[in-house]
Amino acid sequence: MKKLICILFLLLFSISNAKTIEVGSKFPVKKIKQALQLAVDGDTIIVNGGVYKEGNILINKKIIFLGKNFPIIDGQRKFEVISVNADNVVIKGFKIINSGYASLDDPCGIKVYDKSFVKIENNILDNNFFGIYLQNSRNCLIKNNKILAYGKQEQLIGNGIHCWKSDNLQIIANKISGHRDGIYFEFVTQSIIWRNISNKNIRYGLHFMFSNDDAYITNVFKNNGAGVAVMFTKNVKMYNNYFEENWGDSAYGLLLKEIADSYIFNNKFARNTSGIYMEGTSRIKVEKNVFESNGWGMKIQASCMDNEIVNNNYLKNTFDISTNGSLVLNTFNSNYWDKYEGYDLDKNGVGDVPYHPLSLFAVLTEKTPSAMLLYRSFMITLLDKSEKVLPSITPDNFIDKTPLMKSLPL
Amino acid sequence: MKSFLILLITFFVISCNSNRPKPIKLNSENCEFCKMTIANGKFGAELITQKGRYYKFDDVACMLQYTKSNQVLVKMFFVNDYLKENELVTAEKCFFLKGGTINSPMRGNIAAFSSDKEQKEFQTKLNAEPMTWQQVYDSYK
Repeated sequence: MKKLICILFLLLFSISNAKTIEVGSKFPVKKIKQALQLAVDGDTIIVNGGVYKEGNILINKKIIFLGKNFPIIDGQRKFEVISVNADNVVIKGFKIINSGYASLDDPCGIKVYDKSFVKIENNILDNNFFGIYLQNSRNCLIKNNKILAYGKQEQLIGNGIHCWKSDNLQIIANKISGHRDGIYFEFVTQSIIWRNISNKNIRYGLHFMFSNDDAYITNVFKNNGAGVAVMFTKNVKMYNNYFEENWGDSAYGLLLKEIADSYIFNNKFARNTSGIYMEGTSRIKVEKNVFESNGWGMKIQASCMDNEIVNNNYLKNTFDISTNGSLVLNTFNSNYWDKYEGYDLDKNGVGDVPYHPLSLFAVLTEKTPSAMLLYRSFMITLLDKSEKVLPSITPDNFIDKTPLMKSLPL
Repeated sequence: MKSFLILLITFFVISCNSNRPKPIKLNSENCEFCKMTIANGKFGAELITQKGRYYKFDDVACMLQYTKSNQVLVKMFFVNDYLKENELVTAEKCFFLKGGTINSPMRGNIAAFSSDKEQKEFQTKLNAEPMTWQQVYDSYK
């Protein structure tokens, strides 16, 4: 007991030992850099509202760096605004604007260099080249930030949240728009992306490269140039996300390329040119998703194998499925297809005739895209019907043997 | 009239048989190999096949992998000049650097320079290895 009190006392002592430095026009310390010089590990710096133009601010001590009334730190289009070069730094409540631009060394709003346990919370990042950049970092938290940029087509701009060679990151509840990729992961493992909103980015809302064992849950990806891309990756969990309104020739709700052993569960794909595009993917389970009002629900290239597509709803898509080969290595089971015209005599909720999700016309347009011109013409409808009865062009084993009669309540 | 016709025909023949690259539209065109949208005008690449078709790529690595895996008969290769914004130059005339701190979209990490002076200058800056086009070409199978 005595020992415990002793430890508690020591702890209290060590806490009370840390000092707080206030920065602002009404305080003795007027500049952030001055405060950083005065501070030692464990101190708190509170920056009061105002505009601070001090070039690059380098934090190389373990400090808590707080903004009161969103002080503006301006990089004047020349500098990397805040560089973090210490563990355990907290950055909270700032408005960080105008980082340097388009040079070869990727200037950022906030960049963390090879550090752990850094927290970046409640900041507004406006008009930076890269927003937040984590390099070689571990156990960091990026939460509740608003990251805006105004990138245009044909222009070089960085990513909103860019993570490289890191692990154990938490990216929570950020809003990102106008960057190249909203969130970009490269060689990032064991990390979670949760409750973010990423829209109107020029390329992808979220982009995974070579990043294994991650999860992204309950995010909204809307109106991005080309949707979301998960590439060259293993073991990614994708739950409860919205992929919406990613329109364009090369836009996909979700682009999967060279990915394996992943799980896509309970997402909604609505109003995309293609809901999911898969190439070179294997052993993926796609379960309980809704595909609604897309041009193509799923495009599954012939290079995909051992994928399971179970219990999904396909509603109001122009084409539910399309593929470019005749080899069928993926299984479809117990999905609801709104184009299913079969019957259910034994009333068990499962259609008595198998459903061919691949329409003749989907195969034709895959080979000759300009054939789309004939869509909904009388001849095509006729051919489609006859193909359903006697499959000749479409692979006859491309079927859902147990199509559901009613859509799943998802 | 006859001479005009000949002129017209030669004009058509020449314009069909162009050896010029088509500019890459950043953030809207896809890489033929990896399907990613091309967004970085420092690492893009393009090829013209002997039949005159154009293919665009976001990384030299993608272009060479695509060429070799599909056995494309290539007439010309083009690459983006690292020091300019989205300018395509003939690959054979370029000087290359690989590795170091060069970060290209698909990890080919190869940058092209239009002169050996620039190559030398950036070799130390980027801590990279110099290469010729032939070496770059042969490094992919």
